[in-house]
Amino acid sequence: MHQRYLPHRLPLAAGLIALALTASACAGSSAPANKSASGSKTLTVWYMDGDLSTQDQAAIGAAFTKATGAKVNVQIQEWTNINTKLSTALAQNDPPDIVEIGNTDVPLFAATGALTDLTANESALTQGQSWLPGLSGPATVSGHLYAAPLFAGNRAVIYNKKLWAAAGITTLPTSYAELTADLDKIKTANPSPDFSAFYFPGEYWYGALQFVWAAGGQLATESGSTWSGALGSAAAQQGLATWKSFQNTYSAAASRDVDTKSPDQDALFAQGKAATILDTSINTVLKDEPSLKGEIGTFPFPGQTAGTTQPVFLGGSDLAIAAKSSNQPLALEYLKAATSVAVQKADIVGLDGWTPISTQLIEQTSDSLSQTSKAFAAAAVHSVATPATPGWATIESDASINQFFAAIATGSQSPAQAAQSFDSHLDQALNASQ
Amino acid sequence: MTELTSHGRGTTTARPAESGREPAAPEPAPAPARRRGRRRDRATPYLLLAPALLVLGLVLGYPLIRLLAISMQDYGLRALFTGSAPWIGFANYAKVFTGGEFTAVLVRTLVFCAALVAGTLLIGMFVALLLGSLGRRMRAAVTLCLICAWAVPNIAATLVWQWLFQPGYGVINWLLTQLGIFGDLTQHEWFASSFSAFCVVWLLVVWQSVPFVALTLRAGLSQIPRSYYETAALAGAGAWTSFRVVTLQFLRPILLLVTILSVVWDFNVFNQIWILTQGGPDGGTTTLGIWSFTQAFSSQSYGQGAAIAVVSVAMLLVLTAYYVRRLVQAGEQW
Amino acid sequence: MSARSRRRTGRKVALNGAAALFCVIWIFPVYWMVNTAFKPYGDILRPTPGFLPIPLSLGNFADALGKPLFGDYLRNSLIVTGAAVVASSLVALLAAVALTRFRFFGRRAFLISILAVQMIPQPALVIPLFLSLKSANLLNTLLGLSLTYVAFVLPFTIWTLRGFLHGVPVELEEAAMVDGAGRLTVMRRILLPLVAPGLIASSVFAFITAWNDYVFAYVEMKDQDHYTLPVWLVSFSTNTGTDYGGLIAASTLFAVPVIVFFLLIQRRLVEGMTSGAVKD
Repeated sequence: MHQRYLPHRLPLAAGLIALALTASACAGSSAPANKSASGSKTLTVWYMDGDLSTQDQAAIGAAFTKATGAKVNVQIQEWTNINTKLSTALAQNDPPDIVEIGNTDVPLFAATGALTDLTANESALTQGQSWLPGLSGPATVSGHLYAAPLFAGNRAVIYNKKLWAAAGITTLPTSYAELTADLDKIKTANPSPDFSAFYFPGEYWYGALQFVWAAGGQLATESGSTWSGALGSAAAQQGLATWKSFQNTYSAAASRDVDTKSPDQDALFAQGKAATILDTSINTVLKDEPSLKGEIGTFPFPGQTAGTTQPVFLGGSDLAIAAKSSNQPLALEYLKAATSVAVQKADIVGLDGWTPISTQLIEQTSDSLSQTSKAFAAAAVHSVATPATPGWATIESDASINQFFAAIATGSQSPAQAAQSFDSHLDQALNASQ
Repeated sequence: MTELTSHGRGTTTARPAESGREPAAPEPAPAPARRRGRRRDRATPYLLLAPALLVLGLVLGYPLIRLLAISMQDYGLRALFTGSAPWIGFANYAKVFTGGEFTAVLVRTLVFCAALVAGTLLIGMFVALLLGSLGRRMRAAVTLCLICAWAVPNIAATLVWQWLFQPGYGVINWLLTQLGIFGDLTQHEWFASSFSAFCVVWLLVVWQSVPFVALTLRAGLSQIPRSYYETAALAGAGAWTSFRVVTLQFLRPILLLVTILSVVWDFNVFNQIWILTQGGPDGGTTTLGIWSFTQAFSSQSYGQGAAIAVVSVAMLLVLTAYYVRRLVQAGEQW
Repeated sequence: MSARSRRRTGRKVALNGAAALFCVIWIFPVYWMVNTAFKPYGDILRPTPGFLPIPLSLGNFADALGKPLFGDYLRNSLIVTGAAVVASSLVALLAAVALTRFRFFGRRAFLISILAVQMIPQPALVIPLFLSLKSANLLNTLLGLSLTYVAFVLPFTIWTLRGFLHGVPVELEEAAMVDGAGRLTVMRRILLPLVAPGLIASSVFAFITAWNDYVFAYVEMKDQDHYTLPVWLVSFSTNTGTDYGGLIAASTLFAVPVIVFFLLIQRRLVEGMTSGAVKD
């Protein structure tokens, strides 16, 4: 008797299911938005959260629209798991036309066929400028260019003027020795254990690498086409030892195996828990504590010799065109707008205070910079990039480099021991084929 | 041959509304199967199953085959973009077993899984028993706390955990320091050693898993007729013996199900470990799931990651095979 | 007599004490989350934690809700979760009916295989699922995402409902039909109320799975306005810093609907889980 009504339940049930799923289907249609009703094209551009401000993005878009008449659809992406996002997005048949990629991640996508080869248009993009090697190097694979620089960001020392003055410091340090002497004074004046004269988290590898480079060491060296980790070298070891002692002396004990985000180093600085930090801009501090405006100063991290600065990690992003995009010529125009001298000067530097993409631009804009921004531009002159190989993306995303420095800071491994295992991980990862 | 089966426990029409509340009788006699020979019936179960098969096939079936295929290819980022990848047979699997990391990762996974399952079941059982002996109001309070812990989405819970155990600003460090027994723990870094990192993750997972186990066992306990306990007491059995002979016997089917589910879920714990430790320090909390993930998404060796995932599924099947068979057999009596 | 009653009260006090301690410990993380969310941003990072959010501040919530596209994320989460809950319950019910009311070739294999697929670690499915949905042209659609969640939830749901249907004797339905009840009436009046607790239990499971998921929503969606709430949670941590206040407030907002939902249905939920489980 069952089977008499069971088959009749089927249509009802099927209908309900269809209804539920149709609701979801209608709500989320994925019609590609490449042609608006009027017939003019729209370019989809992906920017990373926190890099360029919305005004800056709009300014680049305006320059592009003025030149071509086409519109721009900006999408913001988060940094967490961005490589997975980019990998899957660029593999789709209707990918975003242009993507902003962090300069250290560009080699990964450039070497695997996801991006359009720009070599033929290089001179149109550079417009006679000499791009910073830290930005264009990673975008070049086997002599071919796959992305154009967008902006550079690097680190300088940010200090709290009140706390420094209260410790009796009257002039800014110009050498490493002077810096440590100043920090000693601050430490004596503020003995509480959760206060840091210079807050430097143990996992802050962007900053820690400065010590390695300052001592003449390298992350990895390339011979032929093989990379090998070089942190075991005498120079690198010396840099690591200097860093360890710096970190342990001037940064609170709780900071040894954390990164800059938990707890947030800008928040700590804003609260007066740290007199000094190393960071890429003062904007976050001012957002956390607007009353500090005017109380913050900056200077490049001094090197061992008076008057020199430590080589800084050159951060920043490039813009690349998706190989599968159907708007290649338009996308190229967008890149031209973003790399143009006018936009770089007025927007990248003028609006956001980032470092522009060529040495000429850095020189030309240095006078227009605010007092606090000058230090970052000055530091950029002496900058180093990470190994320009696809395998570098692995090192950044598996957090092995964070663990490496944290192990040294906490003392759970000596610099030599840590370097030994990390170097072999570098050897394997940097040389892995894609 | 499609048949209708009559199921139930012999006298089924007696208590319809309470069919959910009957005590689980030990071994019911299966009612005789009735044959309906109409051809239409043959297709019906398949028709009813069709939507499920369709969805499962699209989302789990085809991807599973893809997973197996990828595990035997040199599938990296280039393969993702171009769509073609060279076949390398079992090379990925060979790398998994001979790479040198496998034993450590496997041991870590098994030990952590065992610790989680034991913790969840023991605490869950304790809470279930506690609930039975409380008055109405306290029982409601305890149930409320359990529900809150269970309901918090696990990403939110993990972020809160990160905040709780923060060195310097985390309240747990402050509370422990106030106790005075352990000294000054305000700057203590929980994630500096793999053991304490695992402890923190253990606390998080158990905190969220106990409610389900406790409430399930509680309901099972509530269905055991008091008469059995009274008989046992009359026969002179002490608390522990009556627990062993009566309670555990009655709970056996539920305990079986709950244990299997716990083993499967705890073996595959991922989000909590990844967000809190990223598999560190120095690979110290890298379980099979984390390892598969880092191979796939940090190194972009999707083939390698797939091989590890397949191995981990195989391990889990082996671990639970005996119990799964018993569970399916138990269900087959009806 | 008095000795025994003293023992009894002593025991009662001990039990209540243990229960009270348990409650404090178990609710603490949730209490801390809500406490932090209502504190003014500057008060959050203090070495001596404040146990009451005084002064009370809604600033973190304003930050959390003020994020661009929050409305879109919320809408998408609601649609996808709703679709997943409804569709999975129906599909699983049909499947469970097939599994319990019929004997057919492949029944056991199906049962074992849906239990086995529960063992696949979800991250392993990301790329294969991406490729599968790409071939089916379902990427960047809420439909594709809903189907993903339905499939993840089906194995557990089918098992639960199967256990439930075991407890509903066939004779019941037949008796009702003999008495003249129409087919739909039988289903509505007899079957559905008996299976309702089981449906609730499986709905909750589907709700949590769909509401909570980050990885698959993140990978399957391309356009920003197609993302769901978990992506919103992750966005408080950027390269330039973490907005802790906003993050905890967002987590609280994210958790509240689920907690409220659970509290409302908790009695039915427990009925649902256990009655089904006992039958297995």
